[in-house]
Amino acid sequence: MATTSATTATEQPRKRRSEGQWAIVFRRFRRHRMAMVSLGIITVILLASFLAPLIAPFEPDEIGLGRNYLPPMSVNAETGQFHILGTDHLGRDYFTRVIYAGRVSLTVALLVATISSVIGILLGVLAGYFGGWVDIVISRFLEFIATFPALVILLIIAAIFLENEQFINIPDFILAPLSAVLAVSERETKQVVLIILTLALLNWIIPARFMRGMALTVREQLYIESSRALGASHWFIIRKHTFPNSLPPLIVEYTLAVNTALVFESALSFLGFGIQDPTPTWGNMLAFANSYMFNHPWMPLVPGLPILLASLAINYIGDGLRDALDTRLQL
Amino acid sequence: MTTFLVRRLFQMLVVITLSAMASYGLLYLAPGGPLLFLQQLQRSGPQAVTEEDIARIKARFELDLYLPYRFTRWFVGLPRGPITVGDQAFFSDLQVGCAIPGQVRLRYPDGRIEFIEEGCEVPVTMADLEGRDVSRGVMLGDFGDSQVILRDRPISILIESRLWYTLALMGVSTLLAILIGVPIGIYSAVRQYSRFDYAMTTMAFVGSSLPTFFFGIIAILLFAIIAKEAGLPYLPPGNATANRDYVIPLIGTVEARSTLDYVLHFIMPCAVLTFVNIAQWSRFVRTSMLEVLRQDYVRTARAKGVRERLVITKHAMRNALIPFVTLLAGVLPTLIGGAAITEAVFNWPGLGRLLIDALERSDYTVAMSLTFLSILMLLIGYLISDILYTVVDPRIRLS
Repeated sequence: MATTSATTATEQPRKRRSEGQWAIVFRRFRRHRMAMVSLGIITVILLASFLAPLIAPFEPDEIGLGRNYLPPMSVNAETGQFHILGTDHLGRDYFTRVIYAGRVSLTVALLVATISSVIGILLGVLAGYFGGWVDIVISRFLEFIATFPALVILLIIAAIFLENEQFINIPDFILAPLSAVLAVSERETKQVVLIILTLALLNWIIPARFMRGMALTVREQLYIESSRALGASHWFIIRKHTFPNSLPPLIVEYTLAVNTALVFESALSFLGFGIQDPTPTWGNMLAFANSYMFNHPWMPLVPGLPILLASLAINYIGDGLRDALDTRLQL
Repeated sequence: MTTFLVRRLFQMLVVITLSAMASYGLLYLAPGGPLLFLQQLQRSGPQAVTEEDIARIKARFELDLYLPYRFTRWFVGLPRGPITVGDQAFFSDLQVGCAIPGQVRLRYPDGRIEFIEEGCEVPVTMADLEGRDVSRGVMLGDFGDSQVILRDRPISILIESRLWYTLALMGVSTLLAILIGVPIGIYSAVRQYSRFDYAMTTMAFVGSSLPTFFFGIIAILLFAIIAKEAGLPYLPPGNATANRDYVIPLIGTVEARSTLDYVLHFIMPCAVLTFVNIAQWSRFVRTSMLEVLRQDYVRTARAKGVRERLVITKHAMRNALIPFVTLLAGVLPTLIGGAAITEAVFNWPGLGRLLIDALERSDYTVAMSLTFLSILMLLIGYLISDILYTVVDPRIRLS
């Protein structure tokens, strides 16, 4: 009697356990309607950017004399070419440039978020897990960096990098693959790398601070103590306990970092301290559109809309992930 | 409290020196600046620039001094020359810079000849610093002269002329954002998951995830360009004043540089900044209020039969606003950087716009002064927020 009730009691949970942690997360994520829509939007944007050379009707830097400022859905009278989103001040096809710009802007955002997260997580784990003087050195350094006003320093570093471009050497094994991904020349890629470095230089602070806090709370748990009593090494504990336990909020943090990088990159480009013109980014396209918008009011909408959609979608995905990963929350 | 203040001020002094050194070093690495034009000048022929000319120009901008001396002269206005005790001058032969660098002629095996700079031909000594113009140092409030934007005129004039525009923009938008954002946040929390809450959280979400310039451009598009074309009352799209009178439908003729002109120009940048702040702060207040509403003392107050209105205003709101007060101290450092993008979009002549101009035109003394100011403001902001914490929350003691 007792054994049968025990088996029936354990059978129910076993069925659920077979679902797997990530399957549960995905099931919960699917309930967030906006997040699912956003996932679709981001997928479309990523696909369009990735397949840009196949989709694009024109070359991204193909200048057309006498066909500049064409409004969306217009046909060039001379050549009979159709410009679905119109053309910019140099007669370049806006649709082509927007999808090529997506390649650059999204690559920059993803790389900046990844680089800064990796640096931040490493330093944060070191500070939070080991404590003592390691923590003091890293925390003080973090506080020191935080005394710099972000945008001001960002502008200065970007200005220095851009003016000194010819003196800075970037190894070919970074430039060559990146230039293939971005579909721009290696000379232009160098500028992109410099902007990525500039943004990554300041954005690792948030993940570092966050990871330090997580590592600090995990460190005090009893299972860490027992793990250590069993003779586990520091590296083992970090890998098996500290990191997996901090992973869910870190994923959410990562999506926010992607958005921050996207916004900062477009802001820098918009102010003229980011990636410069022949290389298309949503930010610098918007900057040009801004100066011609008085006569051609539709112009800022073309690069503005992708920024709007991408930024909102990334944030909604982050929001959905936050709800899905927080198991304490009842949905 | 006094010991705390003394210690904090001392800490601030150390931090500000370090940050100033770091950012000065950063700008020192930057190319360009007032010597950029020398590269384009002729180095031979009848109108050639001689080494002495270059040395004179360098001395004018202190660029002939070594970095540590330049930094201390900029930071505290020292050294000004040899130290004289009685009749005797000390350190007068100490080399503090180099007026004309030495040149070494290199002849390569293939016959190529190249000149490289090596050593120092004419050094600058402490005695040479004697008669030079020097600012009293930024620590004492003297920012020195501008190099490009307002050539050879004090930076303080430049900052003063821009400060009021930024202060007006930041002040009014901050005030409006508090007056609108805090009630929205509290009401959203009290009516959690209501239609109002959903609408406001969505708005806050949109407002805080998108870049500021996006809203600026949309605002110009809607209220300046489209409204004007439609013959509706429109707002001027940029600058702080107009150069000549203009006519706005329904309002009539607006005189240039009149109060109405200022107000009309002010509305859009202010509204954009206010909207972004409301988005961020109402979200913050909502979270903080929700947390407080879950506390035991709120339940106790309700159980005692205190009216709901009083529970919210007296018990919950006061505690929920504690973290918000410290958030407000964070507004201070955003004085320069925070509005930079909005100022750029609307061509508003404030400090942020000045910083962008200074960096664009390589006016490094101006850029440096603004960086220094924003670091200073950030540190003061931290200090104020720490002090405010104890004022609004007696449980916290400074130690």
